[in-house]
Amino acid sequence: MPGPALIETRNLVKRYGDKMAVNNVSLDVNGGEVFGFLGPNGAGKTTTIKMIVGLLQPTSGTVKVAGYDVQTQPLLAKASCGYVPDTPNLYAKLTGRELLRFVGDLYDLDRKQVAQRTDELLRMFDLTAAADDTVDSYSHGMQQKASLSSALMHDPKVLVLDEPTVGLDPKSARLIKDILRQMAERGAAVFLSTHILEIAERMCDRIGIINKGELVAVGTMNELRSLGKTGEVSLEDIFLGLTGAAEEAEIAEILK
Amino acid sequence: MRTIAPSRSYRFLPAVWKLIRLRLQISFNGFKHARTIRKILTIVAGFGLLAFTGMVSFVSWLLLDFLRSPQLTQYVGMDVAPFLQAMPVLILTALFVGILLSSFGVLLQALYLSGDMDFLLASPVPIRAVFVTKLLQAVLPNFGLIALFGLPVLYGLGFAGHYNLLYYPLILLTMIALTLAAAGLSALLVMLVARLFPARRAAEILAFIGAILAFTCSQAGNLYNSFGHSTDVSGAQVSNMFTLLMRFNTPWLPLNWAGQGLVALGEGRWLTGILLVTLTLGLSVAAFMVALATAEHWYYSGWAGMQVVARRKQQLRNVRPAARSEASHPVTPSRVFPDLWMGHLLPAPVWGILWKDFLLLRRDLRNLSQLISPLIFGVIYSLMLFRTGGQLPAGQGDAPDWFINSFRILLAYGNVGMSLFVGWMLLGRLSGMAFSSEGRNYWMLKAAPVRAGHLLTAKFLVAYLPTLALGLFFLIGISFLQKIPLAGFLYSLVAVAMCLAGMNGILLAFGALGANFKWEDPRKMSAGSLGCLGQFLAMLYLPLAFGLFIGPLWLVSAFNWSQVYGTLAGLILGVGVTGTCAFLPPWLVRAKVERLGEA
Repeated sequence: MPGPALIETRNLVKRYGDKMAVNNVSLDVNGGEVFGFLGPNGAGKTTTIKMIVGLLQPTSGTVKVAGYDVQTQPLLAKASCGYVPDTPNLYAKLTGRELLRFVGDLYDLDRKQVAQRTDELLRMFDLTAAADDTVDSYSHGMQQKASLSSALMHDPKVLVLDEPTVGLDPKSARLIKDILRQMAERGAAVFLSTHILEIAERMCDRIGIINKGELVAVGTMNELRSLGKTGEVSLEDIFLGLTGAAEEAEIAEILK
Repeated sequence: MRTIAPSRSYRFLPAVWKLIRLRLQISFNGFKHARTIRKILTIVAGFGLLAFTGMVSFVSWLLLDFLRSPQLTQYVGMDVAPFLQAMPVLILTALFVGILLSSFGVLLQALYLSGDMDFLLASPVPIRAVFVTKLLQAVLPNFGLIALFGLPVLYGLGFAGHYNLLYYPLILLTMIALTLAAAGLSALLVMLVARLFPARRAAEILAFIGAILAFTCSQAGNLYNSFGHSTDVSGAQVSNMFTLLMRFNTPWLPLNWAGQGLVALGEGRWLTGILLVTLTLGLSVAAFMVALATAEHWYYSGWAGMQVVARRKQQLRNVRPAARSEASHPVTPSRVFPDLWMGHLLPAPVWGILWKDFLLLRRDLRNLSQLISPLIFGVIYSLMLFRTGGQLPAGQGDAPDWFINSFRILLAYGNVGMSLFVGWMLLGRLSGMAFSSEGRNYWMLKAAPVRAGHLLTAKFLVAYLPTLALGLFFLIGISFLQKIPLAGFLYSLVAVAMCLAGMNGILLAFGALGANFKWEDPRKMSAGSLGCLGQFLAMLYLPLAFGLFIGPLWLVSAFNWSQVYGTLAGLILGVGVTGTCAFLPPWLVRAKVERLGEA
């Protein structure tokens, strides 16, 4: 049974000059739910995510995380939220262990618990052996795992992930999927954007599709199926039907 | 399905042209999409460069005229014509050695550390084409700079010596050949180093050594002069210098063949000229071709080797024993340093940022060179201060008493001046770049529940603590050697601590306003006009703040009042104003800090 709404956006708008990046997006993500956020490139996924985690100020509209308004109560909202960006830009000259300790300090966590939690996360993500190497010696996948460890450090109520499985090997990708599911089962709200429709279809309780800045569909797989044309049973068909049928035809024409 | 025909890019020269065209396109796009002000500045800079070229030509003409003047011949007591003939040798040798040494670091960056290497090496482009394009890209700026100064002199010599027309195009051709040869040899060295050491670490060490050497060399001259060596040059010294330089013009050095051959051709000594110039061009082409052929094997294998080393290191890590398994614990917010008294002074995020920044400053050699330079400057200028004695010249002359007294006060606080000088240098980097240095990692701070005030406090302390320590190091050292009384030392201590705090506040505020997080190359970290404005204001602030501390002392001395009044007034004024500068600017920009990184 879904818990209370832990992410709430209302009429969210972000405009860059004349360009409308996000237009009137309203959605809720409840506790215990994995929410998939899909959309073509440049549709406004990352901009929406950045507004949710407080990295960007909306032009208008509101975002609440764990009941706290991100604009008026940013510290409480951020303290409840973990964020994994699409590119793991981490401090290159810190070791993995130091990075997690630093995150523990930023979130004002107890030092002894930080040490224990660090060991747990490093072990869980198979980073223990590299824990004392600087991040610049990590591969992309290892950096992605370090970034995810940082986001989980304070055991957040809300976890927001932007393309979390990019650059990960199948084992790590599976691990992340398991962790996200476990977090949802423990009552957290998981909001993830992905291009891999199979992940969204299999993992997510509900899916939102954004196109050209507008939320064109939200719902469970069954609800989305009812929105699509007759015969559209897979998420791929629904997604292309809602966002990219024209482009799909164009691609097919080129490949002929 | 359509098939795509193989491209001509498999061939060497078309591929080089494509890659060069790509660079030109990127530069053009950069200009096209730049802000109007930047476009205007670029155009102005272009005209400025043209004007500068004209000025260099004019100065070269004057210099050559001076070198041929009978007065100089009379002054040095020798015929300087052979020296003029040796000038092409000197310039071309300087070009070769300059390119050889200066292009090492640039080539290391261009060949191994540039962001487009994965893309280029994965494309069906000959590796030699990538190598040549990167090489040209790396050496062109240095070549342009040396040509800017060298060509007017070489052409001027040709005009003055009535050299035949062949001399002029051959000068340019020889310069290009020597540049390619030097760059090729430098690239060989780079490829060798990259096979032995991690390229990134090598670049960091090189930048560190280069910066330290540059600072040390630039200041060594000042130190030399301060130790009483006269800067006046006698005729005999000039004569000795000319003799030494002419002695360098020996035919036994292959590097000299280019210059000697060109002069011989210019003067119509065809056999010698053709022989030496052909030898030079042949050897240069051979050196370049060897570099090219070696690059075919070494460059790719070196690049691939970098990936293999990384993977091997990763595999080694994986075989290490994993840590002991522990049960999961829920995480609760708490104080980070509950057991330490210091932990109660500052919030945990402030401690965290302090700790993180000090670690990064220490580990990144690029930072370290910037941090060491104030120390080098400080030591050298302190030595100069002591060399001159820091004393008033004997006698008073026509100077009034009040002037001598003022001057004495100023000299007595030379320790403060030196401490503030090194502090200013250090703060310029630590405080002005406090936010920009976060670069693309800033999201970690922004996404965390950290108050703007805490962030500013942490950044203030990261800049202030090492600066204060360095300032105090000089203050204590100079005060001890100058035998400054305890009261004067304590007053100086307050003045230094507060002046630096005020400057830190100004620089931090402007650094935050002009923060630039979108840099890849740390040298571009300081891009932006607000940071420059901050530096400018800090330069204005420092003498004013210092004046507030010593001004009242000067006034009571001028009016023969008690020093106590001067000290009290100085403390009230100085501490008041500098304290305000320390707190007010960061407080004013705190709202802006909350929105940093959103542009």
